Amino acid sequence: MTEVGHTRSLATLRRGDSPSFGGKSSTLGELIAAGIPVAAGFALSTAAFRAFVREAGLEGKIAAELNRLSPGDVDSVVAASHGIGEAMRSAPVPESVRDELARAYAGLAEETGIPDPPVAVRSSALGEDGEDATFAGQLESYLWVRGAEHVCDAVRDCWVSLFGPPAIAYRAHVGQAEPAMGVAVQLMVDAGVSGVLFTCNPVSGDPSMMAVNASWGLGLAVVGGEVTPDDFLVSKVTGEVVRERVHVKEVEYVPDAGGRGAVRVDVPEERKAIPCLDRAALAALVEVGSRVERAFGSHQDVEWAIARGRGLPDGLFVLQSRPVTGLPERRPTPENATAMALVMSMFGVGEAEA
Amino acid sequence: MTTSSPVGSFPSPYEVETPPGCDGWEEMYPYYALFDEKRREADEQRFWFWNSMHFPLPMPAFDAICIDTAYQALGSWQNRVFAVPPAMGIDYRCINGYIYISGNPVTDPAKIAERAGHFQQRAGHYFQNWDELYAAWRTKMEDLIAELDALEVPQLHELEPDDVAFGDQETSFCAVLDAYRRVLRLSDLMWQNHFEFLLLGYGAYVTFAELCKAHLPDIPDQHIAQMVAGLDVLLFRPDAELRRLARLAIDTGVDVAFVEGRSAGEIDAALAESESGRQWLAELEAVKDPWFHMATGDGLYHYYGSWLDDPTIPYASLTGHIGALRAGEDIDPPSGHIATERDRLATEYGALLDDEARKGFDELLALSRTVFPYVEEHKFLCDYWFLTSWWNKIRDFGRLLAGHGFLADSEDVFQLSRLEVYSALDELLLTWATGGQPRGPSYWPPIVTRRKELLERLADWTPPPAVGAVPEAVLDPALIMLWGVTTQRVHAWAQATDGGSSLSGTPASPGIVEGVARVVRQVSEIGDVREGEILVCSITSPAWAPIFSKIQAAVTDIGGVMSHAAIVCREYALPAVVGTGRATSQISTGQRIRVDGSAGTVTLLE
Repeated sequence: MTEVGHTRSLATLRRGDSPSFGGKSSTLGELIAAGIPVAAGFALSTAAFRAFVREAGLEGKIAAELNRLSPGDVDSVVAASHGIGEAMRSAPVPESVRDELARAYAGLAEETGIPDPPVAVRSSALGEDGEDATFAGQLESYLWVRGAEHVCDAVRDCWVSLFGPPAIAYRAHVGQAEPAMGVAVQLMVDAGVSGVLFTCNPVSGDPSMMAVNASWGLGLAVVGGEVTPDDFLVSKVTGEVVRERVHVKEVEYVPDAGGRGAVRVDVPEERKAIPCLDRAALAALVEVGSRVERAFGSHQDVEWAIARGRGLPDGLFVLQSRPVTGLPERRPTPENATAMALVMSMFGVGEAEA
Repeated sequence: MTTSSPVGSFPSPYEVETPPGCDGWEEMYPYYALFDEKRREADEQRFWFWNSMHFPLPMPAFDAICIDTAYQALGSWQNRVFAVPPAMGIDYRCINGYIYISGNPVTDPAKIAERAGHFQQRAGHYFQNWDELYAAWRTKMEDLIAELDALEVPQLHELEPDDVAFGDQETSFCAVLDAYRRVLRLSDLMWQNHFEFLLLGYGAYVTFAELCKAHLPDIPDQHIAQMVAGLDVLLFRPDAELRRLARLAIDTGVDVAFVEGRSAGEIDAALAESESGRQWLAELEAVKDPWFHMATGDGLYHYYGSWLDDPTIPYASLTGHIGALRAGEDIDPPSGHIATERDRLATEYGALLDDEARKGFDELLALSRTVFPYVEEHKFLCDYWFLTSWWNKIRDFGRLLAGHGFLADSEDVFQLSRLEVYSALDELLLTWATGGQPRGPSYWPPIVTRRKELLERLADWTPPPAVGAVPEAVLDPALIMLWGVTTQRVHAWAQATDGGSSLSGTPASPGIVEGVARVVRQVSEIGDVREGEILVCSITSPAWAPIFSKIQAAVTDIGGVMSHAAIVCREYALPAVVGTGRATSQISTGQRIRVDGSAGTVTLLE
């Protein structure tokens, strides 16, 4: 892909590009650099968003709406969000951005040999997916988007989500001004199964375990809490599945028959109650999870998908990764406790003094 | 320790009904073993659990020595030698022939503090000098077994030998009574040795396990066990020797003698016909001492003899191994990697810890590995080798009594308590000496007949897992370490309702399988186990190892992750759930069940 002003191939991004392209895009770049399977795609810069706002003359409108709201008043937040959204949606995407998006998208088509390849258009906000992971879940992704025009519309929709009620309320709460956002455009993974993987047990904090939540279809159902996913706990040390809770998975998201967008359908009866991952798939996930953890040097919360009809490990893709936050405190080891002192306390030595 | 309040309940020990036709069962047991009205107020407020781990079947009167002496020994070390601060010893009571136990806590803080001082000194001495003390212990045990082998039960002749008249040999009445007292004393000494290191050994292990769980809350218990387990486990040697002999049989062409369905005697006879067969038999003889001192069941009942007494298990195992080798199968359990795997686990888990935690981890792992040979070896030396030989000595006394009409059969000696046997011997020697008419021959046989009937009927009764009060928390280190009876487990028992469609226990060996259950309550039923079944039992014994090549999974009523079933299942890579409390009472032979050895659940599928 040729490099142009507002777009860059995801593979060329690194952590340092975060201020220009947002957290998600730069994280995807780091993943690719670490050899982790990530769907091909390109990133749109935060500058493109700023250009859009500037050229459409929206700064005043945005500032006025934001000034009017009071953070504690839900109605005023919704009203401001609505006002800004309306204005943004009726404003044109700048010609230069539009052209670059079309060129980069054509590049993806060329790379894959698919005309109008389906892509996912995801928000990549400043600070999003950062250490504090504050924006997780507040910004939108648009799936199964096809055609340059629709990609462009989806990009604008992502920008609009920067002024969704939760995002506005959050920024007002932390006092963050002048929001901006990049966008990641990636080839769509036609997920047969997808979910979330933690490189530790997020509940107990056990670093020797990986926790996997998985359900049928695209990840929306899991991330959005629309199904109770199958729940696995796998030992990193031996690969054993030490806990497996299979739930009834009622719904899944699949590509719309028309080829655009994703639709929610009932999971066919015969697949509802069976595990959506087998041992081989879990092993592939643990292997990739370990590489992600090593690449970032900390425990990660990884979104992943396994492409329908593709084998493993080739069919497994990482969609995004962010540091795990809010781990439970480890039980502290008593200070200077020797092994013998610990054995003694097992026999009740020291209990009476306590 | 948890402070959650107890839920559910156990029956009062005073309201458990006697099964039909079993009235009078109490006569088989000492007066102090019974729940008695005078102690009702105290005993009803205590938590008593069925010790099905050691006593899964109703106790024959003589076998109760393995309760009395064992708890004398355990209590002595725990309470009077080491002074474990919060816990004294184990009390037991008998209901319908089944043994319930309860710990005696120390509650006075001043007393606990005082005991802590003694404990630190005394237990510290053991931990610091473990290798030396344990080496001395092994010698002591070997000497004890030699002394037992050498002990002979004198015969009673019409006339005393010349050495009594002309030399200084003692008279036979003295010699017989002395031999009986000595055989009892040897049992006392064995049990004393049995418990000398047990608590400390398990204590070091449990401390390591707790540290692992503090830092790695989801670590499977079996991984902790794998990191500690000995490399050359004495208990696995007998089966390893059988595998070696099976290969030898094929290599020397004598394997044709091993035909499915042939008895040990028939196989021996076929082998004796050829020179190479006789050589193979000589090789077998060399293996028998000590490896055939394996018991056919957990050694605490007189009817669990050794492989020497009943070679059915080793010969069936040899035949099976030879058949498998002929079919080109690998007969070695998939444990060749135990050594590398235990070190790999230790390295990888250690690497996940911060420096401070890793220091404790490394030290406790080293300590656990130091103490563990004892935990594994005492079972073979005490419970199997000594005890199976010891029961045979008691049979010799039975033979003496039967020879004089006091018993119909030498085996009937086990229907009398050890004190009743003493009393019968007393009368025999009195009347033998005086030439008088003994009352024994008309007195003892009806008692024996009645007790045999009682035991048979009592065996059909299923005891509740616990009686008395549900404790808020289990704090007794011995109960936790030796029986795996934790607060959580006890509360699960209390909440369990009969007829539930699933059971939970300790996940002891990972994997999930579905299959047909085979409930085995007595060692004699082991022969019924068919290829591919799931073994459901109170507790298994390592002596059953050969059948583990047949089964798909194992479920037990009692036991923790270090129980024999757990160890053997990991050795054979079979799923196992142990400590379910009531698998043998809720599952029936032929029923389809699903065993999840990773989650510790057993689901009844029909």
